[in-house]
Amino acid sequence: MTATATRTSAATAATLRATRRHRAVRAFTATTGLTAAVAALFVLTMMVGSFRLTAGEVVTSVLHLADNPSVDFVVRGLRLPTALSALTVGLALGASGTVFQQLLRNPLASPDFVGITSGASLAAVSGIVLFQVGGLTVCALALGGAIAAAVVMYLLAWRDGVSGYRFILIGIGVAVFFEGLTGYMLIKAELFEARQAMHWLTGSVGQASDDELKLLGGALVVLLPLAVLLSRKLRVLELGDDTARALGSRVEITRAALLATAVLLVALAVSVAGPIVFVALVAGPIANRLLGPATGGIAAAALVGAMLLLTADLVAVHLLPTPLPTGVVTGAVGAPYLLWLLATTNRRGAGG
Amino acid sequence: MSRLRAEGLTLGYDAEPIVRDLDVTVLDGKVTAIVGANACGKSTLLRGLARLLRPRAGNVLLDGKAMAGLSTLDVAKVLGLLPQSPLAPDGITVADLVSRGRYPHQGWFRTWNDRDHDAVARALDATGTADLVNRPLRQLSGGQRQRVWIAMALAQDTDLLLLDEPTTFLDINHQVELLRLLRTLNAQAGKTIVAVLHDINLASRYCDHIIAMADGAIVAEGAPRDVITAELIAKVFGLACVIVPDPVAGTPIIVPAD
Repeated sequence: MTATATRTSAATAATLRATRRHRAVRAFTATTGLTAAVAALFVLTMMVGSFRLTAGEVVTSVLHLADNPSVDFVVRGLRLPTALSALTVGLALGASGTVFQQLLRNPLASPDFVGITSGASLAAVSGIVLFQVGGLTVCALALGGAIAAAVVMYLLAWRDGVSGYRFILIGIGVAVFFEGLTGYMLIKAELFEARQAMHWLTGSVGQASDDELKLLGGALVVLLPLAVLLSRKLRVLELGDDTARALGSRVEITRAALLATAVLLVALAVSVAGPIVFVALVAGPIANRLLGPATGGIAAAALVGAMLLLTADLVAVHLLPTPLPTGVVTGAVGAPYLLWLLATTNRRGAGG
Repeated sequence: MSRLRAEGLTLGYDAEPIVRDLDVTVLDGKVTAIVGANACGKSTLLRGLARLLRPRAGNVLLDGKAMAGLSTLDVAKVLGLLPQSPLAPDGITVADLVSRGRYPHQGWFRTWNDRDHDAVARALDATGTADLVNRPLRQLSGGQRQRVWIAMALAQDTDLLLLDEPTTFLDINHQVELLRLLRTLNAQAGKTIVAVLHDINLASRYCDHIIAMADGAIVAEGAPRDVITAELIAKVFGLACVIVPDPVAGTPIIVPAD
């Protein structure tokens, strides 16, 4: 046979070992770097503002290492909830987005576009406009709306199993339908409720209450490790349903479990912060850039999500002349990326 | 005893069954080709044998046990399948792809050990793809890519290997190279191989056993020299032909008649 076949298997084993080691080192370096960056940004968002603080002051106050009433008021009372919200929402969006993209085998299949976020928006806006509710009730409505939208899409896409392509098309249809209804709700609304609804729809990490944060934090502690654990199965599902079955994967139940995890993550994130666009879309591809192609690291994507949202919040609140909702900043940065993605995937002929 | 067989197997996707009431025995330690015209049910049969399709009626038996009752992971340790058009995530490297073939041997928390490592190295060596480990799959030629996919299936380390049209998109040189690879795997590793093939001449040359199908039924099976006749080709493909012996191996070759 060819010359390659005459290689000794010892040489192959050595090459393979080196490849694996290289990948492991790269994954470790990237994840450590991302964790450090997220930690630094987390502290930094609490340092800046009209009342400037040092990193030391922020850390000691957050960890309850020293008591200084004025610092504690600013840090624990004002800035920590927003920083925690940006951190947790970012983690959830990043993890959820990359699971969606890998599961549906499409870089455009972020929960922003396939109807889940718009389901949450419709439910939240309906609550605000029709029943004048606020706070935790809006949060619960958004959570319910996102989950209901996901269930509807899953059932509509089911035909002897759920194919990624059908799920995306149905998701886009559902999204447009829900957005239409949301627009109708806004037109019917009184001025005050319409303003409230619009504010919610822009998405902001500054609007989370303590209860909402506790809910999201608790859910992350369970769902993130679950997503990371399930990613081994995702590696196989990516090879197509037939290959996955041949490799012994129970395709439908695995896909349902992964979808449920991702839907819960994005639903919780949206219910806490409103629809913050594009973070879920870009986190996975950025993580892949750092870890290497097709590595699909969920932890890394979650960290990238947190990094993006913390940065967006810094920019939105502190760097711009007038403070803006976080969603505006992520949208302004994310839209050009989306255009670039559309242009390049089509050029490669892999748009489907 | 044969490790893989089907009894009264009926398979289909929608209302109308495609394969009806088939009895099939896969000969252990042999290379078998399933041949037939387009849409005769040969890929459906292969998918049924690999439990990708649930039988409408009948059973597929693996080591004497109905496959439907076995854990799919246990089946995956014995029986591998390379589908017709497997998908690969964008940018995946050869090492990454072939390593994913170890899935059935790994648990929730035990991710990688020396056995996995050896199996992947052997699969790469056997398919001559060891030099490609760090290359993205996308950059490879069709023949190289198909060998990498076979390496992925080999890393699964199964005694039985089913392949759905593995030569379809390859040029003649790579078709022959791939069939020789299957022969080598059979001879050196003792693997039982079943492949759906289009080219009867190549199937006759490189396979021990041929199963010819038409309209969802088996019309003939046996050694190529016994099975491939002008009558059979007329019946299966509707082609009038003359059968001549291959000048190198003496196996039957189809030559279209005037």
